[in-house]
Amino acid sequence: MFEHVLSIIIFLPILAGLVLLASPASRTVARFTGLVISLATLVLSLDLYAGFQSTGHLEFVEKISWIPSLGITYFLGVDGISLFILMAGSVLLPLVYLIFGTKEKGYYANLLIVQGAMAGAVCAADMVLFYIFWEVMLLPVFFMLGLYGGTQRLPATLKITLYTIAGSLLMLAAIVYLGVSYHAQFNEWNFAMDKMAQLNLTGRIAALAFFGFMIAFAIKIPLFPFHTWLPDAYTEAPTAATFVLSAVMAKIGVYGVIRFVVPVFDIEFARFAIILAYSGVIGMMYCGLAAITQKDFKRMLAFSSASHMGVIALGVFCMNLQALTGSIYQIVAHATSTGVLFLFAGILEERTQTRTIEDLGGIAAKAPVFALFFAIAMLASVGLPGTSGFIGEFMIVLGAVKFNAVVGVLAGTTLIIGVCYMLWMFQRVFFEKPTVHSENFKDLTLVEGLAFLPVILLIIVMGIYPHPFLSKITPSTALQFTQPSPIVAQVPASNAQNFGLTIEQK
Amino acid sequence: MTNDLMLLMPLIIVGAGAILLMIASTYGKWTNELAAYGSAGVFALAFLVQLSSCISGNVSLFADAFNGILVVSNFSKAAGLIILACGFFTAFSSLSYFKQNNFCTAEYYSLTTFAASGMLLLTMAQELISVFIALEIMSLAIYILVGYDRKNVISTEAVLKYLMLGAFAGSFFTMGSAFVYGAAGSTKFIKIGQFLATHGMLQSPAMIGGAFFILVALLFKAAAFPFHAWVVDVYDGASVPVTGYMATGLKTAIFAVFANFLILDDSLHKGWITYLFYISVLTMFVGNLIAIGQQSLKRMLAASGIVHSGYLLIALVAIGTKDFSGSVIAFYLAAYAASTLGIFTALSYLGGAGESRKTFDDFKGLAQSRPYSAAAISIFLLSMAGIPPTAGFMGKFYIITSAIDAGQVTLAVLGIVSSIISMWYYLRLIITMYFHEAEEQFSEPAPSSLAPICTFVLVVCVFAMSLYPLAV
Repeated sequence: MFEHVLSIIIFLPILAGLVLLASPASRTVARFTGLVISLATLVLSLDLYAGFQSTGHLEFVEKISWIPSLGITYFLGVDGISLFILMAGSVLLPLVYLIFGTKEKGYYANLLIVQGAMAGAVCAADMVLFYIFWEVMLLPVFFMLGLYGGTQRLPATLKITLYTIAGSLLMLAAIVYLGVSYHAQFNEWNFAMDKMAQLNLTGRIAALAFFGFMIAFAIKIPLFPFHTWLPDAYTEAPTAATFVLSAVMAKIGVYGVIRFVVPVFDIEFARFAIILAYSGVIGMMYCGLAAITQKDFKRMLAFSSASHMGVIALGVFCMNLQALTGSIYQIVAHATSTGVLFLFAGILEERTQTRTIEDLGGIAAKAPVFALFFAIAMLASVGLPGTSGFIGEFMIVLGAVKFNAVVGVLAGTTLIIGVCYMLWMFQRVFFEKPTVHSENFKDLTLVEGLAFLPVILLIIVMGIYPHPFLSKITPSTALQFTQPSPIVAQVPASNAQNFGLTIEQK
Repeated sequence: MTNDLMLLMPLIIVGAGAILLMIASTYGKWTNELAAYGSAGVFALAFLVQLSSCISGNVSLFADAFNGILVVSNFSKAAGLIILACGFFTAFSSLSYFKQNNFCTAEYYSLTTFAASGMLLLTMAQELISVFIALEIMSLAIYILVGYDRKNVISTEAVLKYLMLGAFAGSFFTMGSAFVYGAAGSTKFIKIGQFLATHGMLQSPAMIGGAFFILVALLFKAAAFPFHAWVVDVYDGASVPVTGYMATGLKTAIFAVFANFLILDDSLHKGWITYLFYISVLTMFVGNLIAIGQQSLKRMLAASGIVHSGYLLIALVAIGTKDFSGSVIAFYLAAYAASTLGIFTALSYLGGAGESRKTFDDFKGLAQSRPYSAAAISIFLLSMAGIPPTAGFMGKFYIITSAIDAGQVTLAVLGIVSSIISMWYYLRLIITMYFHEAEEQFSEPAPSSLAPICTFVLVVCVFAMSLYPLAV
C-alpha cells in the first residue's frame, strides 16, 4: 500500500502518543485516538502480512544512510521471524483501548509509544537502531508502572528499570564491540545485523560480548536466574503494561537471541547452549512450581508467563529447525493466550476489586461467555491439542529431544505443572460457590466479547490448521541454519552428549 | 593579518563586548536586564561569526595566528561554539534567576563575558604562557561569579575554597611550564612536540616533572579524581546559572586544552595513558559514590559532573587513534552541555526565591503542576544518563566506540558499569517528580518567559544532536 509501510507502523503510534502527551486532550479523546491509531496500524500490518512473500530474507526493506562516518543506517525490514512478533503487537494492542475505557490520558499515550517502539525494535535491521528502540520501549513501561501501578509500584518500577537498563547497557558495549570488530576485519564501519554473521570472532572478549548480549536478552525474556524483577513488575503494573510486557516485550528478548546471538556468536552459542537450555528448563520448573502456590491470580499468571517463556527460550537454545520454528510459533501462541489471560485478569480485578483467588468463586455461572473465553485462552496456554499452544510446544519438545534427551524429557514433563496450577486456579475462581466479591460479576459486554472473539478464533485456527503460519516462518528459520558457519561444523558436540553435530547443518 | 583577524573574530567580539559591558555598567541607566540582553547579544553575534567560519570551511591559508601561539582547528571551533552557546543560555537563565534573587549588578554579565573570552582563548592556545593567561582570565572571572552572593555564607565558603585551590593549581601550572621550558627550550606546543619526538619523554626529568605539574593543574580544573573534592561545595555555593556555566563552558574549555596538550606527541600520551586510565576509572566511580548520597539536587548534579569528567577522560585515553580525533570529545561536550545547561536553566526559574527549592523532596509532584518543565527535566536527565534517542546516548556511544577502537575494552566496560550506577540518581529525580504526590503547588508565575523558552530550545537541541549528529 505504501512504500514506507514499516516506518509508518513504527512512527505513527509514537508520534500520536507524543502529541497526546503534549496536548491537553481529555481521556475520551485520548482513548479514541489510541483506538483509531492502533486500528490503523493493524490495517497496515495486515496489509504487510498479506504482501509478505516468505522468501526467508528481509522484506519491505528501507535503508537510508544515517551516520555515514560510522556506517550506521536507518535500516528496516521484516522476515518470517520478526513478522509474527510485529503482528502479535498489532493484533493485540487495539484490544486494550476497547476493553479499558476509563484510564488516564497518559495511559493511552504511553501505550501508543510502546507499541511503536516495539515495532521498531522488531523491524530494525541495524544494531544501533535496534538498541535505540530497545531502550525507548522501556520508558513508557517505566512511566505506566510508576504512575498507574498498584500500591507497591515504586520498588517494582525501580527493579525492572535498573535491571533492564543494566542489561541493555552491557549489550551496548557488545554492539560497539561487534561494530569495531567489523571495522577491524573488513576495514569498513558497519552496524547492519546481516553483515555481522561474516565476522570471525574468537577469544575471551568475544565470549564476553556474547554474554553482554545474552544477559540483556535473558533479563528481558526473563530467563532463570534473571527473572526476579518479573513477579513484582507484572503484579504491580497496570493491566495494559503487564499485557504489553508479557505478550510482546518478552518476545523481543527471544527475538534478540535469534537475531544476534545465534548467527553472530555461533561458536560461543554452541559452547553454552546446553547451560542455556538447562536454565530455560529450570526457569520453567521453578516458575511453574512458584505459580502453584500463589494466592494472587495476577502474580500466578506472572509466574505462569515466565514459565512459558522458559519453553520458548528453550526452543531457541536447542539449535535445530524444529525447535526454532516451534519457538516462533509459540511466541504467537503465548501472546494470544497468556497475554489475553492478563487482560482477563485485568477485567476480573476491575469488576471484583480483588486479586486474591480465595475471594473469588462461581464466576462461570454468572458470566458464561467470560468463562468460556477464559477457558479457551487458558487451555491454549497449557498446550491442549487443538489450540495454538499445542503446536508450538510439541515442536519445541520434539526439537529438545533431538538436541539432548534429558532436556527434552524434562521439558516435556514440566509442561504438566502448567496444567496443574491453571486448572486448579480455574476451578477455584470460576466454579465453587460465589463469594461476596464475585456475586455481582457482570459478563462481558457485546463490544468486549466481539473484541476478544478474533483472538479466541485465532487460537483455535492456529491449533487446527497451522500450515499457513508455519509456511511463513520456516523459510526464515531454515535460513538461520544455512548461513556460513564453517567453524561450527567442526566443533564436536560434546555438550550435547555427542548426539551428532550441535548445530544442524543442511 | 586579515587572516588572523578573521580567525580570532569570535574572541575579539567577546573580549570587546566584555569591556563594553563593563563600561556600560557604570551608567545608572544600564539596568541588569539591558546588561543581560547585551551579553546575550554579544554571545549570539560571536556564535554566528564562529558558525559562519565553520560552515565556510578552511578558506584561510594558515590556521595559526600570532606566530603559532594560537591555532584554530575544527576542534577549537567546535569547542568555541559550545562555549558561546553556553554563555548565551547562561545570560537568559541568569535573567530569570535574578528576578527571584536580588544580589545582581550589571557587572555580573560583563564577568560572564570575560570568562567566555578566557575560555575561547584557552581552546585556541598552543603555547604554555598563553594557556596560563587564558586560564587566569577565565578563572578570575569565575572566582568572582562564584562568590557573587556576598551575604551568603555558603557562597563565601565556596569562593574561598575555589580560590585557594585554584591558586594552587595555577601555580602548579606555572611551575610545570617552567620545567617544560627548561627541558624543551620553548613554550610553544609545536616545539615541545618536536623535542618529545626526538628525545622521548622519559629521557628528561624536567620534562616528566613539568608534564606532571601541568596535568595536575588541568585535572584540578577538570574536576578529576583525586582533585575533585572542591567540586561539590563550590557548585553548591555558586548561584544556579553560574554553576551551570561552570559545569559546561568551563569544562569544555579545559577539556579542549587538555586534549590539545595530550596530542602534542605520542610519547607524552603513552607515558601518561596508564595513569589517565586509573584516574578516569576512579573519577567515574568516586563521582558516582558522591552523587548517590546527595539529598540536594545541585550537589547531585555537581557530583554527576565529576562522573561526566570521567567519561571525557575515557575519550582522552582513547585519543590519538586517527579516526576519532577531537570530534568525539567535542560531541560529548556538546551533548553534556546541552543537557546540563537545560537542567540549570529549568532550575533557575523553578528554584524559587532565594533558591528555596534545593533537595529532591522539594520537587515532589512537579509533573502535576508543571508538566512541561518536568518533561524537559526528565529529557535532560535521560540524556545525561545516556538513554536514546537523546544526545547523551550518541555522546556515550561515540566514546565507547572510540575506547573499544583504541583497544581499551576494559575502560569501555567500566564506563558502562558506571553509567548503570548513575541511572539510580537520575531516575530518582524523575521518580520524585512524577510518582510522588505534590506537596506544594509550584504556583508562582514564571519570572520570565525567556528561561522556559531556552529550556525548550535546549530540549530540541538534545534531540536534534542525536538524530542528526553532524559533528562526527
